[in-house]
Amino acid sequence: MSLMKKILSVKNITTGYDKNIIITNASFDVNPGEFIGIIGKNGAGKSTLLKSLRGFLPLVKGSITLFGKELKSYSQRELAVQIAYLQQQVEMTFDYTARDMVMAGRYPYKKWWEQSSDSDADIVDACMQYTGVMELANTPIRAMSGGQRQRVYLAKVLAQQTHVLFLDEPASGLDLFYQEEIFRFCQEMCKYGKTVIMVVHELNLAARYCSRLMLLKEGNIIADGNPGDVLTDELLTEAYGVDIRSLINKETGHVDIFTVPAPDDSRKKELIKTIIGDKHNHGKAVAYE
Amino acid sequence: MNNYHHKLIAVILFVALLLVICTSLSAGQYDLSFMQVVAWFFHKMGLPFLENINVTEQQEAVLMFIRSPRTVVGLLVGAGLAASGAVLQGLFSNPLADPGIIGVSSGATFGAVIAIIIGINSTSLVGLPISAFIGAVIAVSLTIGLATRHGRIPVLTLLLAGVVVGMLFSALTAAMLTIMDDHKVQQYLFWTIGSLDYRRWEHVFMGVVPISLGIIIMMLMARHLNILALGEAEAKAVGMNVTKFRLILLAVATMTTASSVCITGSIGFVGLIIPHMMRMLVGPNHRHLLPASMVGGAVFLVFCDAVGRMLLPNSEINVGIMTAVLGTPYFLYLLRKNMDIR
Repeated sequence: MSLMKKILSVKNITTGYDKNIIITNASFDVNPGEFIGIIGKNGAGKSTLLKSLRGFLPLVKGSITLFGKELKSYSQRELAVQIAYLQQQVEMTFDYTARDMVMAGRYPYKKWWEQSSDSDADIVDACMQYTGVMELANTPIRAMSGGQRQRVYLAKVLAQQTHVLFLDEPASGLDLFYQEEIFRFCQEMCKYGKTVIMVVHELNLAARYCSRLMLLKEGNIIADGNPGDVLTDELLTEAYGVDIRSLINKETGHVDIFTVPAPDDSRKKELIKTIIGDKHNHGKAVAYE
Repeated sequence: MNNYHHKLIAVILFVALLLVICTSLSAGQYDLSFMQVVAWFFHKMGLPFLENINVTEQQEAVLMFIRSPRTVVGLLVGAGLAASGAVLQGLFSNPLADPGIIGVSSGATFGAVIAIIIGINSTSLVGLPISAFIGAVIAVSLTIGLATRHGRIPVLTLLLAGVVVGMLFSALTAAMLTIMDDHKVQQYLFWTIGSLDYRRWEHVFMGVVPISLGIIIMMLMARHLNILALGEAEAKAVGMNVTKFRLILLAVATMTTASSVCITGSIGFVGLIIPHMMRMLVGPNHRHLLPASMVGGAVFLVFCDAVGRMLLPNSEINVGIMTAVLGTPYFLYLLRKNMDIR
C-alpha cells in the first residue's frame, strides 16, 4: 500500500466520440509527481484518452476517480481547478495578448461577478517570467512564433495552479531547443509535486524526461511502466507497425530510437522511376537498381 | 495597448461625442448655428459663458422637442447596436458576426410588416416597435432552437441556422408585401431603411431602459466574453459552462438589438464595423472594447444622421443609407490596412 494518495484511478474505461469507440478497457492509476508520456502512432487514441481523463468525453463503460472522487461528480469549474488542459491546437480569432491568454488561466478561481485582482496579476506575471515570455506580455499571440506561443500557453496552464497538467502534444512543430525546454519545464514541475500527463511524439525526449510511459495501440494500452521497459524493440515495433530499434547511445547514455526501413521491392522502384522521371539526370541513363 | 493609450482613445471618443451631439442638434432645415447650441447648453446649465449669443424661443422648442429626442435616440441605438455587435463577434469568435446574422433584423422587419398590415402603427406610437421586438425575439429563438443539439450550440450551426431563419422571415415579409396596399408598402419601405426622423421623447423612453440595461449587463460580462472569444475548447478547459454563457449573452444582445431596431428600423453596418474599428484601436479585450464600441457606435450613428441632414438643401438622407455609404469604404480601408500588417 502506498502512503501517497492516488491522483487518478482509471478502471476499465471504454470511451470515444458518440458511437465511435476509440479507447477500450483502459485501466491504470496515476500517482503524485509522475511525469507520464502517452505514446503511440497517429490515431492510436492518445488525445482521446487525455480528453476522457479530463471529462470532455462521456464514458461508455468504467469509471474515473480524481482524488478519490468520481470525475463525474465534479463541476466544470471544480475540474478546472484540479486539472489544467492544453489542447493540441489553439486557434485564435482575435489579437489577444500573452497577458490576456495567461489571465484566462485564472478564470476558474473567480466568481462570475468578480474581476481579476492584484494577486491574479502577480501569479500571471510569475508564470510568464518562469516560461520566459514576460517581454512578450503585450504582444498579440497571433504575431508570435510557434515556440513563443507554446511557452505562453504553458504559462496559462501553470496560472491555473492545478495539481495536474494535461498537455496534448505541446512540443510538436517546435525547434529542437523549445521541444526540450518544454520537457524540462514539466520535469521540474513534477519535482515540486505536480503531476503531468503529456501526449508525446518525440520518443527520444520522452525516454529521457518522462518518469513513466504508456504505449497505445488501436485504443489499447499495450505497455505501461518505466521508459526503459516500454521502449523495447518488440513493443515499439508492435505498436507502430514498422520495424523499430531502440539503442542506448554509449556516448550520451540516452536512448536512440529509429526505424529500420523495409527492403525496397520492385513496385517501389517502378514508382520512383515515375516520380523522378529523366529530367534530373541530364540525359544520362540512371540505373534504378 | 497600454493604459496611456486607452486613456487617450477614451478622451478622443468623448470629445468626438460632444462635437457630434452639438453638430446633430444644429443640423437641419430650421436655422440654428453650432455656437447657438453650445450657448444653449451653457445657459441651461446656468454657466456664465457665451451669454451674448441668443437662442430664440422657437429655436429652443426645435431643440427641445425635435432635435434632442432624435439625437438621443441616435445615441442609444448606435450604442446598443455597436455593443451588441461586439458581443456577438466575441461570442462566436467570428469578426464578421453582426446582429443581423442570427435573425434579429429579418424577424423585426416581419414584425413591423404585421403591425403595418393590422394598422396598429397608425393608432399607437408603440404598436410597431412592440410588434417588431416580438418578431425579432421569435426569429432568434427559432435560430437558437434549430442550432441546439444535446445542450450544445455549435457556432457554425448557429450561423447557418441564422441565415436560414433570416431567409424564411424575409420570404414571409415578401409574401406579406405582395398583398399589401401601396401606401402601406410605402410605410414599410420607410421603416425598413432605418431612420431617426420624427423620433420623439416617447421613443427615447421606450428604448432607454432595455438598451441601457442590456449594455450594462454586457459590460459586466466582459471577462466571460474574453474567455468565450478564445474559442469553445479553451473556454471549456478553464471550466466555463459554454452553453449557459452563450445563451445568456445571446439573449442580452438580442434584447438590446431588438430594442434598437424596433425604434429606428434596421440600420446596418453599425454592429459590424464599429466593433471591428474599435478592436483595432483598443484591442480585443472586452473590458475596453465594449465601452469603446458603445461610444463609437453612438458617435457614428448620430454623425451619419447629421450628415444626412446637411448634404441636401431641402431634404434628408435616411441614416440607414448614410451608415452604409460611409461605413462600406471605411470598412474596406480597415480590412486592407489590416491585411498589409499580416
